Amino acid sequence: MECRVLSIQSHVVRGYVGNKSASFPLQVLGFEVDSINSVQFSNHTGYSHWKGQVLTADELHVLYEGIKLNNVHHYDYVLTGYTRDTSFLEMVVDIVQELKRANPNLVYVCDPVLGDHGSMYVPQNLYPVYKNKVVPVADIITPNQFEAELLTGKNISTQKDAVEVMDLLHAMGPDTVVITSSDLPPRLGDRFLVSLGSQRHVRPDGSRTTQRVRIEVPKVDAVFVGTGDLFAAMLLAWTHHYPNDLKTACEKTFSVMHHVIQRTISYAHDLAGPGRRPSPPQLELRMVQSKADIEDPAIVTEATVIS
Amino acid sequence: MQERRVLSIQSHVVRGYVGNKSAVFPLQVLGFEVDSINSVQFSNHTGYAHWKGQVLTAEELNVLYEGIKLNNVHHYDYILTGYSRDTSFLETVVDIIKELKKANPGLVYVCDPVLGDQGAMYVPENLLPVYKNKVVPLADILTPNQFEAELLTGRTIRTAADAVQVMDLLHDMGPETVVLTSTDLLSKHGDQFLVALGSQKIKKADGTRVSQKIWMDIPKVDAVFVGTGDLFAAMLLAWTHHHPADLKTACEKTASVMHHVIQRTIAYANEMAGPGKRPSPAQLELRMVQSKADIENPATVVRAELLETSVH
Repeated sequence: MECRVLSIQSHVVRGYVGNKSASFPLQVLGFEVDSINSVQFSNHTGYSHWKGQVLTADELHVLYEGIKLNNVHHYDYVLTGYTRDTSFLEMVVDIVQELKRANPNLVYVCDPVLGDHGSMYVPQNLYPVYKNKVVPVADIITPNQFEAELLTGKNISTQKDAVEVMDLLHAMGPDTVVITSSDLPPRLGDRFLVSLGSQRHVRPDGSRTTQRVRIEVPKVDAVFVGTGDLFAAMLLAWTHHYPNDLKTACEKTFSVMHHVIQRTISYAHDLAGPGRRPSPPQLELRMVQSKADIEDPAIVTEATVIS
Repeated sequence: MQERRVLSIQSHVVRGYVGNKSAVFPLQVLGFEVDSINSVQFSNHTGYAHWKGQVLTAEELNVLYEGIKLNNVHHYDYILTGYSRDTSFLETVVDIIKELKKANPGLVYVCDPVLGDQGAMYVPENLLPVYKNKVVPLADILTPNQFEAELLTGRTIRTAADAVQVMDLLHDMGPETVVLTSTDLLSKHGDQFLVALGSQKIKKADGTRVSQKIWMDIPKVDAVFVGTGDLFAAMLLAWTHHHPADLKTACEKTASVMHHVIQRTIAYANEMAGPGKRPSPAQLELRMVQSKADIENPATVVRAELLETSVH
């Protein structure tokens, strides 16, 4: 399989977020990953301390120019995540548009990181850039409920609302939408959370069809960082292998997330000791230890097809 | 599995496999936790027609290290360094290593003293005294080529005996393990092979001393690869970890995985270039992700001979 991904995300010296979270699993699955590090920090910002440097929009452009001058700016996928800077994000959009001209089949996987649980955790002025420029060029997006509501201006209280919001997101651009987590009531009880997915296809005869799925995912009582980045990377991989079967792509993706998270929480509790809450360093994803699960995830979450 | 954490301070390229791009994936595949500080971020390595990017200053390196230290997570089993062009950066690396060795006296520093090859330096000359006087004395495992070994010791290598003497001189400077990654010595298999040598002088925990010198004949490949030295140092780190007092086995595994990756790479590059055409730098990028199985479990295809061995 010769498949090349351009991933533009953060780099941390220690731990697994951004490119550190996305590159290894994609490489393990045989993808060639070119990576532009949007920042270099000592560790993620959930630790007590963090230090480092950011890449400017100009510096991003310079790196891209180098790739272009060598005529190697040919990618099958682009992958982006957490960004804090509007000019940087706008440069990313320009790059994606140019790469799509070089390869019209390019698939842009975008995690539109804006916030969670009712509040934004990036500067507010990123919101119009995502809405008006980024999402329209995305092919696969992985918003959480808050981000999906923000981008469409519509609230999600029921599954029907969620389906409407996903249809609105399709209308903005992406053919594949996964709402990675929501507040919808799970059927399996309150130890679970509900995720939904929607994929729009055009049949050979020109007619449209949409596959929609619902997944109930076990909740874990801990704050993980980097899981969204891992999710987007693995959704890229599994939709690559199952381009017309969102049900299977989601089952694989959510399953690998489950294995990595279980291994991580188990190890974190071991390190922290009985009765103690693990610290951010202890909660770093057990990425290299999960290689076998990444390569071939045993299916432990089932996706139900919904209409 | 025992937890082992490496700090690797090397270049990052957006595309291709040199520096950290060459070292990190194979070490992760072998189960090592790798923290990586990118000393530069370039679009690609400097052998392409064009390259663009940014460098990290010594001050910025220090800031990143401070972040790690403030969180009290500056505990490493290994440090790995390679190509550097800046003396103040290299001196900051030395300070960091000294501090990390104080935090963990068992830390092993694997150093590729990149100075040049085939009789010419390709880094600024003022790096030589820094390597000689500050870096090499801290190193535990050193992977110079013949030119670098000669430069560091001030001795020329014409015979196997010269090579052995030079390796002993390097031991005296600091490192217990030295591998001469390539030399001009004549291989008994002919001119399609190059000769590499290794030497280890280990003092084990029980006080016994183990000494081993080895010789390897390695098939030459008619192409210029970039990033192979970085992969070699990373894999030597991994295989000496698994075989800490058996340089012969560590080198056989390391040289074998190099062989598999290089063979896969040259086959693919020739295919991409087409018959009768020399492959380009872009086409010659190491087939790293495709070589995962060989990295995990390299079939031994290069054998090392013992030149001498002693235990006392």
